[in-house]
Amino acid sequence: MDLSQPEEENYANPKTCFFHVLFKASALAFYMLSTLFADSFVIIFVITVVLAALDFWVVKNVSGRILVGLRWWNEINEQGESIWRFECLDHESLARINQKDSWLFWWTLYLNAIAWTIFGIFSLVRLEVDYLLVVGVCLSLAIANIIGFTKCRKDAKNKIQAFASRTIASRFSSTLQSAFSLV
Amino acid sequence: MSNSHSDTIPLHPSNSQSDIDEIRSLIDDSVHSGPAVVLPARHPASTPPPSSSPFISSNIPPPPPVSSSSSLQKLQSVPAAPPPPPPVGNSSSIVANGFGPPPNTLTEPVLDTVKRDLWRIVSNLKLVVFPNPFREDPGKALRDWDLWGPFFFIVFLGVALSWSASVKKSQVFAVAFALLAAGAVILTLNVLLLGGHIIFFQSLSLLGYCLFPLDVGALICMLKDNVVAKVIIVCLALAWSSWAAYPFMSSAVNMNRKALALYPVLLMYLSVGFLIISID
Repeated sequence: MDLSQPEEENYANPKTCFFHVLFKASALAFYMLSTLFADSFVIIFVITVVLAALDFWVVKNVSGRILVGLRWWNEINEQGESIWRFECLDHESLARINQKDSWLFWWTLYLNAIAWTIFGIFSLVRLEVDYLLVVGVCLSLAIANIIGFTKCRKDAKNKIQAFASRTIASRFSSTLQSAFSLV
Repeated sequence: MSNSHSDTIPLHPSNSQSDIDEIRSLIDDSVHSGPAVVLPARHPASTPPPSSSPFISSNIPPPPPVSSSSSLQKLQSVPAAPPPPPPVGNSSSIVANGFGPPPNTLTEPVLDTVKRDLWRIVSNLKLVVFPNPFREDPGKALRDWDLWGPFFFIVFLGVALSWSASVKKSQVFAVAFALLAAGAVILTLNVLLLGGHIIFFQSLSLLGYCLFPLDVGALICMLKDNVVAKVIIVCLALAWSSWAAYPFMSSAVNMNRKALALYPVLLMYLSVGFLIISID
């Protein structure tokens, strides 16, 4: 029955986890160690922001899908209104998501945002407006992902509840119908 | 009898069979018409985030794959994704059997996502900057907006300006980037405050894509150093940018406020043009 219990639960998608962490860590590391690498602010800015943007894309499109089975995006419909769309796997697949994967996913998202906030406070205190710009861009990317996935997860929970109650209701009514048809 | 004949025709629009037929025809449309076309949402929303879950109900297939994301991407050599775990594959195969290729984006391989996003940048660029049949209808032209294109163009412009500058390179870059980014946000707010109908990210995306001509101009100015040539090139680039931005901005507000919406856009591009000319 419980085949996953005897062996210790490991990461189900190590490569995805690695990439999920890689770009975040390299953006933070590059920013911190930038004075060792390059004199020019332009290079620091471009590389850090490019790494942060790559991380945003990887989280949104790859690791969100694979590690936690969630996805969010924005669309504009025929009437010209903007709709936020959330997509999630169905109930059984969600239940089979590896716990370690999803723990890693959520915690690195939060830690990333916290780290950038700390860097922002440092550069604010030192009144380095240039670096504040870098931190601002990276922080907004991190927060956008957090908000998107949190909304997506809430949405998934609501849908599962709605689906469960609908299934129960439909089964109930079909049972009633079959009971009455027999009578 | 004619009465009984008419009784057998299902007239009720919300019959589940007709729903499924409608969904199937939408999916067929989407399969045939390619990734750049956006199909109408099944539940057009009047409030912000309504959501749709394609996978929860296993008997009703998910809505067709409309444009995917506002995602940023850049990976040219993205590694192949690890194969999705088996349960994910099962959920897509339920759908795949009935209705052709799985119309969902949760289980597609990573390379597909990359290609889709790359294709979207190119098509957005073509729609905004070059003449196309959708010009008068801004909603259609930039329906699936993305911010990658604008990101590239702003960074490229900043790098080009900073390269041409002989002193204070980092300040030039920071000023150019901040000016363009903050300018785009403020211009969008301007249109919204004038009572216009435009979507925030769509407008940001548009203003970013309209920077493409100025990018080209800055590149040429970087290579040639003659002031007169620079002025001519920048004027041409400016005219092209304004021509690209004009229909979208002007159709977003009503008639008597067009100038109020357009003037700041032209002003911003003009100031960027001045930056390009005067950098030495």
